[in-house]
Amino acid sequence: MKRYAYYLSCINESMTKELDRSIALWQKDLGIELVHLHESTCCGGSNLDYVSPKHFALVNARNIAHAEKMGLDLVVSCNTCLMTIRTAKKKLDASPELRAEVNEILKAEGLEYRGTSEVRHLLWVLIDDVGLDAIKAKVKVPLSQYRIAPFYGCHILRPSTVLGKDNPLDPTSLDQLIEALGGNTIPYTHKNRCCGFHTLLVAEEESLSVAAEALGEAIDEKADFIVTPCPLCHTVLDGYQAKALKQADIHGSIPVLHLSEMVGLALGYTAKELGVKRHIVS
Amino acid sequence: MTVAADQHNEGKRDVTLRVFRLNPQVDSKPYYDDYTIPVERGITVLRALNYIKENIDASISYRVFCQAGICGSCGMRINGISKLACTTQVWDELSKCREEGIIKIEPLRNMPLIKDLIVDMDPLVAKMKHYSNWVDSTMPEAEMGKKEFLVSEEEFLRYDKATDCILCASCVSECSILRANKDYVSPAVLLKSYRMNADSRDGIHDIRLAELVQDHGVWDCTHCYRCQETCVKSIPIMDAIHGIREDAIESRGMKDTAGSKHAEAFMSDISKKGKLVEATLPFRTNGVAWTVKNLLPMAVKMILKRRTPPPPPLVKSSKGIKQFRAEFKEMSEHVKQDHKTHNK
Repeated sequence: MKRYAYYLSCINESMTKELDRSIALWQKDLGIELVHLHESTCCGGSNLDYVSPKHFALVNARNIAHAEKMGLDLVVSCNTCLMTIRTAKKKLDASPELRAEVNEILKAEGLEYRGTSEVRHLLWVLIDDVGLDAIKAKVKVPLSQYRIAPFYGCHILRPSTVLGKDNPLDPTSLDQLIEALGGNTIPYTHKNRCCGFHTLLVAEEESLSVAAEALGEAIDEKADFIVTPCPLCHTVLDGYQAKALKQADIHGSIPVLHLSEMVGLALGYTAKELGVKRHIVS
Repeated sequence: MTVAADQHNEGKRDVTLRVFRLNPQVDSKPYYDDYTIPVERGITVLRALNYIKENIDASISYRVFCQAGICGSCGMRINGISKLACTTQVWDELSKCREEGIIKIEPLRNMPLIKDLIVDMDPLVAKMKHYSNWVDSTMPEAEMGKKEFLVSEEEFLRYDKATDCILCASCVSECSILRANKDYVSPAVLLKSYRMNADSRDGIHDIRLAELVQDHGVWDCTHCYRCQETCVKSIPIMDAIHGIREDAIESRGMKDTAGSKHAEAFMSDISKKGKLVEATLPFRTNGVAWTVKNLLPMAVKMILKRRTPPPPPLVKSSKGIKQFRAEFKEMSEHVKQDHKTHNK
């Protein structure tokens, strides 16, 4: 059983609770254990970095340092948390002065940021550590009946100088996972586009227009569902779907699954067990 | 000999350029023309287009000037991605074709089309004017030309990368928000604005910043990083956008915008609970009236699915929050000290 420190994303603790619950169902089936890091705090959600760069460094040095103390990699299942914490790590690793400054403060908690733990997305762990062949061998209900639109979202791809796992112009990791689970991917030009989440409360019309494009293509291509490795993308594509499609005058609807739910379905858990019923579009 | 001959064969092949065509004066809708030409390894897309124009079809239109990645004229979408034709190798594109051996050439997006691969740059230039994308000198006119205006190296390093921009408009073409609203300021203009605002010789920082925080300005960027990822000069454009935001939050009088309030809510929530209090985020960003009008129908659906974020008292603080708060506060003292030193 390979162990990881699991970062608790704010949204998975509130609106998308089904995401962490679904991982809990199947993690042992795939030989991994995600140890919940209850000490973790909000990463700053791609905002704290410019509101206060120093607090941004402190908060995320602390998040990573807790994982380092356990001797484990930090695993994240939200794209923005992934990008944000990795950005902080990059800055900390490049600056001995910044490291010294935050470590001086973290000392009171018995913590030290050393840069020894990697910060990784759950999707990357499934592909690189568990392995596609091992996953394939565990599939109980192949997803062969489904045509699936893989929506990667931005912050698992861009900036590639911080992420670097997939080619942001032509990502394949999620496609590979879908295929390992027996599913069929559709050609989906919006796979590496934006969902509009980060401007939902500031420029709602623009955000919904961005989301509607991604939804519209999946509907046109007659996909059975969209799958995404990011709960923020999920919140827009599922929660705001009706509003976005109405604004763009697009008819129809399409379910949106979390990556963790799609894996769960293939491993034999029911949609109900996985929390799919909690989605707005079912 | 055989090896050399093979290498020669590998270094030359027929390639098809599928070029977007539209002459609005004649055509009712766009179409694509295929041109199959012999191409040697080392030939750029621009040279391939030149070959077509000189030898096959003189009617295709595109902009070209320096042919060396300096002037930014030949921005176009090659296999779907905005880039410069003069610095893009045909050979490198072959592995990116959706159809084997066919390279798709299209005009930049998010700008009005003039003909074929030529787009109208005027709206972009108009935005650069609107956001005063030049240094408005603080030096009195009488002193100009008589006195040096020195810039420290430390200052220059803050906008060195930003000065690399050649206005090719690739970032404009790739921007997610511009796709949704053509009035959006656009990444290139934000980059220029940041660069001018960071320049100590400039005297209209506050005026420019006040315009940047208005509607369709800096807060409408949705952090998709597409601009930065496709920048032909690898400029970290998001750093510039975040730089303007940081500036707006620090400057008095610029904070009364939804974007600023939204960003500051993160800071405030983290300092108190270590967690984001999502339930009240819409209220704090846009006020009660907006939230009720815009989010109430959805809130009802979410309540039915038990999907609503918990009210503030029920948001569980992170474990060890007391210690965390002390650390956060200590960092606030560091920041205060930094500001004092910076202001000296």
